[in-house]
Amino acid sequence: MSRSFRFSLFGAVLALLTLGCNTPQTTTRRSSLMDYLYPKQQNAPAPNPAGARLKLPLKLGIAFVPGGSASWRVQNLMAPGQEKPLLDVVKQSFKDKPWVADIKLVPSTYLRPGGGFENMDQVARMYGVDVMALVSVDQIQYTDPRWYSFTYLSIVGAYVLPGDANDTRTLIDAAVYDVASHTFLLRAPGQSQLKGSSTWAYREVQLREHSAKGLQLAMTDLAKNLDAEVAAFKAEIASGDRKDVDVVDRQGVSLRQSGGRNFGGSVSWIEVLGVLLILGAALRWRRA
Amino acid sequence: MDPLALTSEALREPWRLWTGHLVHFGWEHTLANTFALLVPALLVPCEDRRRLCTVALLAAPLLSLLLLPGLGQDQYRGASGLACVLWTWLGHRLLATEDSAPLGRLMLGGLLLKLAGETMVNGSLLVRAEGWQTLPAAHLWGACLGLISTIPARFHARRA
Repeated sequence: MSRSFRFSLFGAVLALLTLGCNTPQTTTRRSSLMDYLYPKQQNAPAPNPAGARLKLPLKLGIAFVPGGSASWRVQNLMAPGQEKPLLDVVKQSFKDKPWVADIKLVPSTYLRPGGGFENMDQVARMYGVDVMALVSVDQIQYTDPRWYSFTYLSIVGAYVLPGDANDTRTLIDAAVYDVASHTFLLRAPGQSQLKGSSTWAYREVQLREHSAKGLQLAMTDLAKNLDAEVAAFKAEIASGDRKDVDVVDRQGVSLRQSGGRNFGGSVSWIEVLGVLLILGAALRWRRA
Repeated sequence: MDPLALTSEALREPWRLWTGHLVHFGWEHTLANTFALLVPALLVPCEDRRRLCTVALLAAPLLSLLLLPGLGQDQYRGASGLACVLWTWLGHRLLATEDSAPLGRLMLGGLLLKLAGETMVNGSLLVRAEGWQTLPAAHLWGACLGLISTIPARFHARRA
């Protein structure tokens, strides 16, 4: 074996080792609310000093914020057809709420990247909604090699041994805005984490599955948190902590003025005294 | 929002129809209503105890459903509406026998006095310092339900 042949063989093996050995890999899917509403080239619009006046029941629109300028590391946000079932999770959990008149699912294709409030207004007018919930996504998928991932070099190992440890972390954030005044009303997060192992050949399939499942779980978490945030938001308005927002119910009563009335079935202490007298008299009469 | 209080959410979360009568605004509210519930619990004849429990279980969601349309976005807590149901029901039961009739009259008279007082008093006087106000409708509807719940017993008595 000549020296040059041995050198080429060593080079080929080294190249194979370098290329064949599994290296850590990170995939990111991201859409930013700030990039959409406040694109860098524009100054952030000043909020309406009059604040928001929401008239119940509300017509609510939900949309995924479009992904920003994608780098080679940032992949498309979600597969076609994946958006509607995800938004449906929120729609289903809010459709029976007494303060909601209607929920419209707005396709993200109607939202321009960096469209700002102008674009949000257009879409809101188109769907006839009072309030828009803008959902942004941040999903990171890590793939780390296990110690035995070198067996991928045998080709068979790449199809048989699960040498990849996959970790999918998803954070979804919903920010709710009043369309008329552009007032920020509330926000709620939803998160999920999925872990799994896969073979080299099955890696992409599992990552896709985990991505979809992670979004689904985070959306369910978001729906739950959004419910709690709405209750907290209502309490803030009733207590007067949110001076920039007022809510008017069906009867035209302002929540800020009524303070979110609490009613109780009660017995006054004078009545309690009467009750005790009746009880005492009854027990004495029975004994007699 | 309290997950047990009676709100318009009760249509989606039906347990609120019962639990709304169990939760209160503070210990004073709880104590006062406990006294009101104690009277029918102690004075009910042994043979009627099961009936009293049945009336309480059935009347609680019915009373809640009657209160819901007026609540809007607000909430209701307290057992006194239910106490009114039981006072009316037991008062009527006690009226049926000659021995216990004076006691029945005393209970119904006392309840009537309370309802008349609440109807006459201005609503603002029923606002409590703890940030809630009495809902006289709960007591009125409670008394009405108590009256209605005496119908089966009367029907049985007539058939017998």
